[in-house]
Amino acid sequence: MRVRDLMQETWSALDANRGRSALTVLGIVIGISAVIAMTSLIGGINKALVGELGLSQAQLVYINLFVDRDLTYDDVDKMARDLTDYQMMVASSYGSAEVSTGKKKGSGNLTGVKPAYFTATGAKFVDGRAFTEGEEHSGAMAIILDKEGVRTLFGDADAKVVGQTVRVGNDECTIVGVVEGSGGSYMSGEDTVNAYMPFSTMATRVVGNRSVSQIMGFAQEGSNMEQVVDRTKDYLALTYNIPESEREDSIYVYSMQSMIDSVNATMGAFSLLMTAVAGISLLVGGIGIMNMMLTNVTERIREIGLRKALGARRSDITRQFMLESICLCLSGGLIGVALGYGASFGLTGLVAAAFMGEGSSMQVTPLIDVGTVLFATIICIVTGVVFGWYPARRAAKLDPVESLHYQ
Amino acid sequence: MGYVLDVSGVHRIYESAAGYTHALRGVSLTVSRGEFLCVMGPSGSGKSTLMNILGCLDRPTSGTYRLEGIDVSELDDDELAELRALRLGFVFQSFNLLPRATVMRNVQLPLIYSNVAPSERVERALRALRSVSLPAEYYDHRSNELSGGQMQRVAIARALVNDPALILADEPTGNLDSATSEMVLKTFGRLRDEGKTIVLITHDPEVSQWADRTVHIRDGKLLTDEEERELVQSMSAARPGLGAGRGHT
Repeated sequence: MRVRDLMQETWSALDANRGRSALTVLGIVIGISAVIAMTSLIGGINKALVGELGLSQAQLVYINLFVDRDLTYDDVDKMARDLTDYQMMVASSYGSAEVSTGKKKGSGNLTGVKPAYFTATGAKFVDGRAFTEGEEHSGAMAIILDKEGVRTLFGDADAKVVGQTVRVGNDECTIVGVVEGSGGSYMSGEDTVNAYMPFSTMATRVVGNRSVSQIMGFAQEGSNMEQVVDRTKDYLALTYNIPESEREDSIYVYSMQSMIDSVNATMGAFSLLMTAVAGISLLVGGIGIMNMMLTNVTERIREIGLRKALGARRSDITRQFMLESICLCLSGGLIGVALGYGASFGLTGLVAAAFMGEGSSMQVTPLIDVGTVLFATIICIVTGVVFGWYPARRAAKLDPVESLHYQ
Repeated sequence: MGYVLDVSGVHRIYESAAGYTHALRGVSLTVSRGEFLCVMGPSGSGKSTLMNILGCLDRPTSGTYRLEGIDVSELDDDELAELRALRLGFVFQSFNLLPRATVMRNVQLPLIYSNVAPSERVERALRALRSVSLPAEYYDHRSNELSGGQMQRVAIARALVNDPALILADEPTGNLDSATSEMVLKTFGRLRDEGKTIVLITHDPEVSQWADRTVHIRDGKLLTDEEERELVQSMSAARPGLGAGRGHT
């Protein structure tokens, strides 16, 4: 029997029992959609966490040092030279001031950064540009807002504001760029305006000194982050003469990898639970399919007898019923894939809030992975084969004479 | 002339919880190419068992059955299936068409199982349907949309489509009115005239009028016309006595 004929016979049989087939595949639909929703959400969260910045977040190390004196950018540059584990180091200073347009005002959370900061963090500009070295050097009155800040100050997040001026404290600043989001490291609130200013401008106009608040290091590709963190701690302890007893309180060095690992561990436990639920659902779904196929065999005994009388071999009958079972599982699986992705897109907000914290501006986009779809497809085929085998063999073994006279 | 089928000393014994049933007792029969043979017998005489063995759906307990010289009892299940697909055509009392499938699909079914190419299948199905005079407008109808006579003509077309060595018809007029029965029997007559070999099983004496030769089966044994007549006469003679006896009781 040709494959095309086999497909046609299978379609005809399934089409005749559309309602029953649809109900039977529900278990498979639920199982597969649960797996797909979970894997795409977990993939999306990982991607958001790891891939949000220009350099991989997994390579990012936050360095905070509490010593007798304030750290300056000279310290950062020295660290960058001494610590070869890092391909780049940037630092920022924090300050706050009222930001206003004359009509509206907001509470400004200001970050002073050098131009390299934007390249290193991969900030996404929706309009305008990053600061130039010239602006940094001259301490220009330039400012970069995020979209929420634009909304607070201008009423519309998409307003074209580059070139306009805002007042920061008592100074007029020109908006040179607008970035997508502030990467979750900022405060958020009704009238909060997150903004960047050149590091030197912040030092002279807002903070009043050239100290840095936070240092970010980007490790070399393929580094062992645990070792990088340890070496950084040792370096800082040695360079700044911090005794062993004070290390814990004075040196805070942590990599995003550890945070990612911790999220992954939570996600792993969650996905294990969901896999168990999906597995049970597939098992129940598979039993439902087996039950339906057995009913089909009983209802079609005369048809099986006729097919045998007309020349069908055992293998033809087996293949036909197996294909029906596989098609049922596969269609349930494909519906499950579509529903799973639909559900994961619907749940992104909820999941982002649960894992990243309320008010986080981190964007989680569910990951559509060909490998996962392929895996789900294979699982469906295997389920179809496993649960279709017994009914198919039972059909194939029927005696043609008894089948033809079955009432 | 070569025999299409040659049955020699065939016994068929069924084993069940109730015991053994001897359905065929040493049946021997030959049918020549182009012959229209009618097998007649009352209910329970063994004619369906004989039909199943001739149709390669069942195997004899003992004895030999040769179809076109091939010893069928030597073949395994798959080889028997292949033989049915290529060399046998079945016509059943209850038509046995697939209700969801179209007329064309039903007729093509034996060719599907013998891996004939789709284009050739269509050609042969059209030829078979034309030979049973089914109007072309019905070819794309589902079989459950047809009348009994039309269904049986489709079934005959299906039996013809693989150009079989033998057409086996089991009570083909059993579910039809007399006018439709005559039309179906005329179709068989025409097929015989075209050189087809037909074995028709019935309990209806009128149907046997259309055949070249009739054999009778009783209690699993084949009888000639003469033996059958003698048996019927002796039974008729015995019956009034039995009837009178019962009446007096």
